Amino acid sequence: MLRANLLTFSQVLSIFPDKPGVDDLIREFLIESQDGLDRMEQCLTELEERPQDAELLAEIFRSVHTIKGTTGFLGFLRLESLSHAGENLLGLLRDRKLEANGEIITALLGLLDGLRAILQSIEATESEGEAGQDAAIIERLRELADGSQVKASAAAVSAKKGKAPAGEEPAVAHSGAAESTLRVDIGLLNRMMNLVGELVLTRNQILQSNSAEAGFAPLARRLDMVTADLREAVMKARMQPVSHVFSKFPRLVRDLSQQLGKPVRLELQGQETELDKSLLEAIKDPLTHSVRNAIDHGIEAPEVRQAAGKSPEGLLRLSARQQGSYVVVEVTDDGGGIRVERIRDKAIERRLITAQKAAQLSDRELLQLIFLPGFSTAEKVTNVSGRGVGMDVVRTNVERIGGKVELDSRPGSGTTLRLSIPLTLAIIPALIVRSRGQNFALPQGALFELVHLSAGQAREEIEWLENAPLYRLRGRLLPLVFLDRLLAQTEAGGDAGCYIAVLNADGRRYGLVVDGLADPEEIVVKPLSAVLKGIGMFSGATVMGNGEMALILDPGAIAVRAGVSLNADEQDPPDTEQASAVSGPEFLLVEAGGEEAALPLEDILRIERIPRTRVERVSQRPVLRFEGSLLPLEDRVGLLEAAASRDSEITVVVCRDGGRHVGVTVSQVVDVASGAPLMHAGTNIVATEVTLLKERVTGVIDVAQIPELPEPVEIAG
Amino acid sequence: MTQASVAGGPAAAAAEAAIEMCSVRVGEALFGIPIMEILEILDAPATRPVPLAPAHIGGLVHYRGEILTAVSLRSLLGLLPHTKPPDLLVFDGKDGDGRDGKGKDGYFGLLVDAVGEVLTVTAEEFEPNPSTLDDSRKALFAGAYKLENGLLVMLDPARFDPVKLSQ
Repeated sequence: MLRANLLTFSQVLSIFPDKPGVDDLIREFLIESQDGLDRMEQCLTELEERPQDAELLAEIFRSVHTIKGTTGFLGFLRLESLSHAGENLLGLLRDRKLEANGEIITALLGLLDGLRAILQSIEATESEGEAGQDAAIIERLRELADGSQVKASAAAVSAKKGKAPAGEEPAVAHSGAAESTLRVDIGLLNRMMNLVGELVLTRNQILQSNSAEAGFAPLARRLDMVTADLREAVMKARMQPVSHVFSKFPRLVRDLSQQLGKPVRLELQGQETELDKSLLEAIKDPLTHSVRNAIDHGIEAPEVRQAAGKSPEGLLRLSARQQGSYVVVEVTDDGGGIRVERIRDKAIERRLITAQKAAQLSDRELLQLIFLPGFSTAEKVTNVSGRGVGMDVVRTNVERIGGKVELDSRPGSGTTLRLSIPLTLAIIPALIVRSRGQNFALPQGALFELVHLSAGQAREEIEWLENAPLYRLRGRLLPLVFLDRLLAQTEAGGDAGCYIAVLNADGRRYGLVVDGLADPEEIVVKPLSAVLKGIGMFSGATVMGNGEMALILDPGAIAVRAGVSLNADEQDPPDTEQASAVSGPEFLLVEAGGEEAALPLEDILRIERIPRTRVERVSQRPVLRFEGSLLPLEDRVGLLEAAASRDSEITVVVCRDGGRHVGVTVSQVVDVASGAPLMHAGTNIVATEVTLLKERVTGVIDVAQIPELPEPVEIAG
Repeated sequence: MTQASVAGGPAAAAAEAAIEMCSVRVGEALFGIPIMEILEILDAPATRPVPLAPAHIGGLVHYRGEILTAVSLRSLLGLLPHTKPPDLLVFDGKDGDGRDGKGKDGYFGLLVDAVGEVLTVTAEEFEPNPSTLDDSRKALFAGAYKLENGLLVMLDPARFDPVKLSQ
């Protein structure tokens, strides 16, 4: 009884984090004003293109008006006088007594910055800061407002002919939207996410338990579905459209383009794409960096553009779209592209790479040098960019949240920077590895491939250079890190061989040697206490489906700890590219129903073992629910029917085919090998349906042949 | 009795007439923790050791959807590990971890050999740590209650917050 009360008390505490000092009213005011100013900023930049748009003007007016109204009530005098000056000018604009032009918009942006600064000061110190700092802004706003008086009379006539005051109509729509949404404390959402994670674990345990009870199986399946839906719903609650981040770019682009004298048009696409709130925060800085880079380095000066036959106005496109369990954000400019020779010269000059080494690198590899710390090609250091911090920070920040960065450059016609961000941080796919009897979770994002060595192979094939263990992976030396030694585990280990997990973390490529592997799992990431975070090897902990706990390894931190260096020749993806140049594409060799077949390795996303019961059917075709979409299954030899019992597991190789994903059922995965091309007899035509793999002609499964589902159904989300 | 008055520490507790203490045993010694401060007692939960962690960290324990860090009272006292799996007391680390973003639940645990019965003690029976006690022990113990058949060493859970212990 007593204990129950205590628990309730602590739960209450965790739902309502302490709110010291700042009055609730002021807090509410701050949040609302911030939202208002964000909208205002967006409208102001749009106003530049559509200076006549009454709705925009009304929206801006309303933001400032609301602030003014509330400040009088709360007694913030500085804020009141500043917003009052702005309101006067905005009133004239709204009533068509004045037309918006560049000058006015600049002044209004100044007003916006002034208001933001005061709000920040209120948030930090609960006071407005010194009055009188805004004199310049107020003076400017007044000047612009007064200047209009002359023309006012003429304009006023036309304005009166207009319909009802522009302010009122949209206001109704606005409050309608407000009624259907609700502000929720992020702590509460986190707690809900935790509880859902707990539910997922309990469900896993229930699914694993065998009850003879009649009707248990359908009940368990129902629980499974409801849990999955609930998890999705809670995750959705944490999602915000990327427009929250994108909306700050029109202003940034406007400022930069004026500062650098380069006219730039900004296009935003896919603003409605949603991303977890914490991830959205995390990509804000990398994106800002990339946009600055694109305008400063990417887009050329108007004269240069004209000389090259392009429009003098540069184009910068920010786009976002969902692709599988990732959101892809692209920053594309139509500038001069990146000249690889310049990158190479700069890298040599800055001693990031030797000249001999550089000569061996392909263009694409040279392009990757831009991500090295300390790299910058800017001829002069501007205050926009060019201080040698930048792209490496972008990459580190994005990889820290489990994302990827890619760079494409088309000389003369532009550059694209592609950030792939996982949909959520809270649940990640991971491979469970074992070291001296303990489980560890290895995030799949950093994992490239797995190599198994038998005890004998481990003795022979792991080479030592002084005290540095190395493994020859397709002819290249891979530094190895023994997990048990790194963690100073003293428990005796078996002598049953080992696995090398080939990892690439923040450009550091190495092999992590572990004792054994368990199945991959979707794990719920739980934070570790500060003491354990301080160890610097683990990024969190998780409870697995069987109820056991596992620490989540941090591949980047381990690489740093083990001293794996970050240098050009360990960049991704040289070795696959070089290998393919020598010996043709690589294949995954699989066995299905006694027959061997090959799948192109570069198309393979994952290999999953799933319970037979997870396979569902749509119009007779076997399908699998996979990361929120339906995956058509190719069951070439009827493995699904042959499966001994409903409880047995099947292996599914998930492949990418253009924009879609497909699954191929196989009996087992045999090996990875490079295939040699086979010519059709008497011709020079390379056969695409067969390849020479390990000296044997092997059929290649063409994933493109797998037919589409009759109706491509997307599961919501 | 309110939560706040007990949380005030031994001095405040001493002012009350009767105090309910949960007795726990580690090695030969008997310790007492005010029952109001204990969120929950788990009977020999599964613990997961953490390689490279400070010696006093007994491992991780899964508790109500959270993974909490458990401090081993045995290793704090410099005793060798026990063969029997230890019991766990769960506390709310009032200003412990969990503040840096994710969830506020700064729970932590204390691993003890065995949890015994609830004892009722009075303020008159309390005495502060003797001046001759080793400094390392003074930092852990909050005084002692004189029982008929021995001493009940008072523990203040706040001192066992893993974050504070590591500072």
